[in-house]
Amino acid sequence: MKLHCFERTFFHSSSSLTPIQLPAPMETHLWYVKPSEVRSESLLDQYLDILPPCERENVLQMRGEELRKSALLARALVRTTIARYQINSHSNPRSLKFRKNLHGKPEVQWQFRDDRHPPPLHFNISHTSSLVACGVTTNAQIGIDVEEKHRSIKHNILSFARRYFSKHEVQFLAAISDPQVQRMEFIKLWTLKEAYVKALGKGFSGAPFKTFTIRFKGVMEGGFNTLEDLSLKASEIVVDSFDDPTDLTSNWQFSLLELANSHYAAICTEKHGAGSGKRNSPGKLTVWKTVPFLEDECVSGTAAVKVIHGVQ
Amino acid sequence: MAAVSATCIRFGTSVELPVRANNQIIGKSSSLVSFGWGKTGGFPCIRTSRLQICAAKPETVEKVSDIVRKQLALSPETQLTPQTKFTELGADSLDTVEIVMGLEEEFDISVEEENSENITTIQEAADLIDKLVDKKA
Repeated sequence: MKLHCFERTFFHSSSSLTPIQLPAPMETHLWYVKPSEVRSESLLDQYLDILPPCERENVLQMRGEELRKSALLARALVRTTIARYQINSHSNPRSLKFRKNLHGKPEVQWQFRDDRHPPPLHFNISHTSSLVACGVTTNAQIGIDVEEKHRSIKHNILSFARRYFSKHEVQFLAAISDPQVQRMEFIKLWTLKEAYVKALGKGFSGAPFKTFTIRFKGVMEGGFNTLEDLSLKASEIVVDSFDDPTDLTSNWQFSLLELANSHYAAICTEKHGAGSGKRNSPGKLTVWKTVPFLEDECVSGTAAVKVIHGVQ
Repeated sequence: MAAVSATCIRFGTSVELPVRANNQIIGKSSSLVSFGWGKTGGFPCIRTSRLQICAAKPETVEKVSDIVRKQLALSPETQLTPQTKFTELGADSLDTVEIVMGLEEEFDISVEEENSENITTIQEAADLIDKLVDKKA
């Protein structure tokens, strides 16, 4: 892949990005791209072209073509995705500005005349070298994490869990006798925990993983004995936070998906209206597979999106 | 040493440059070279035989580099400098946590999670390790 570093005036009208309405409250949009499916050099050049110099530099600093490509796609995905929602005429992916919150969570720096009412769009991205995803919500904090299904870690899973996870989570993992299943459940738990701390906006350092437990409600204490126990789609994922008693489980909802048969994706979003008397019905999730500027495919309800837990 | 008030100066050049500490060449960087001002006290971390104030021990840097290489399964051709960011090498959050765990095991230290966002380069890891090891002694 040749990445051209010279300036080019490449005009991209917003018409090459299908505009879309913001998700409804309690609804989540998820956009993902698979780097292996983006092969066009000129398309990659277009992506590089919409980035400001500092983001371009960050991409080019990555060691190796594969890493540069997924870094480039991550930036291109977040810019083009937000541009689709055409908020306050921010329809040009090139003109979006970003900043980081206190803990380093990226957010949009909206440019508009009336400073008092920031648009309600929230987003979060996650990427591996093989899949890049961006989640979008309205008026709700969001955190997402994607991991390759077959990811393995260098350390022993229980040693790692004892070091970083909560006691309850260690017990959950320790009760799984099949090492493959244990590894998969570990990866799922990792993505859920990552999604939560990213939704909080604090990251791993701000919300150490030992300070909260993620568990599946509706499951007996004492762990799982059979594989069937593990596939409780109806069970709810809940979080118990030890550090912050004001951070109630009822504030957050989780989804866990299998994407494109290759990745686990965890989504954590803020819940509003908890305790309002209404039954907490799970929000809607719409998933698109995209190659920005080229094609979008809504894949919700297809084999590309398997809901393991949570929203439908 | 020139008095410079800038907190960060970065150069990107293609130079063949020995990276020294204690007058020993610990590595050569022949592609992108970046010099960073160390976070510790604002002293530059350019390795020369005279500026040792913020430099972690070369053995520490070496061991950290080995652990990073193993964790990220880097090819032997991949050049590492003390300023190399883990993210540049493709480390995600799980990799970084595993690197930290590997460092804890190798050096018999305990790194608080709160500090893990400060460990983004080999240099930063080595500096923190030496600090924690010294505290233990």
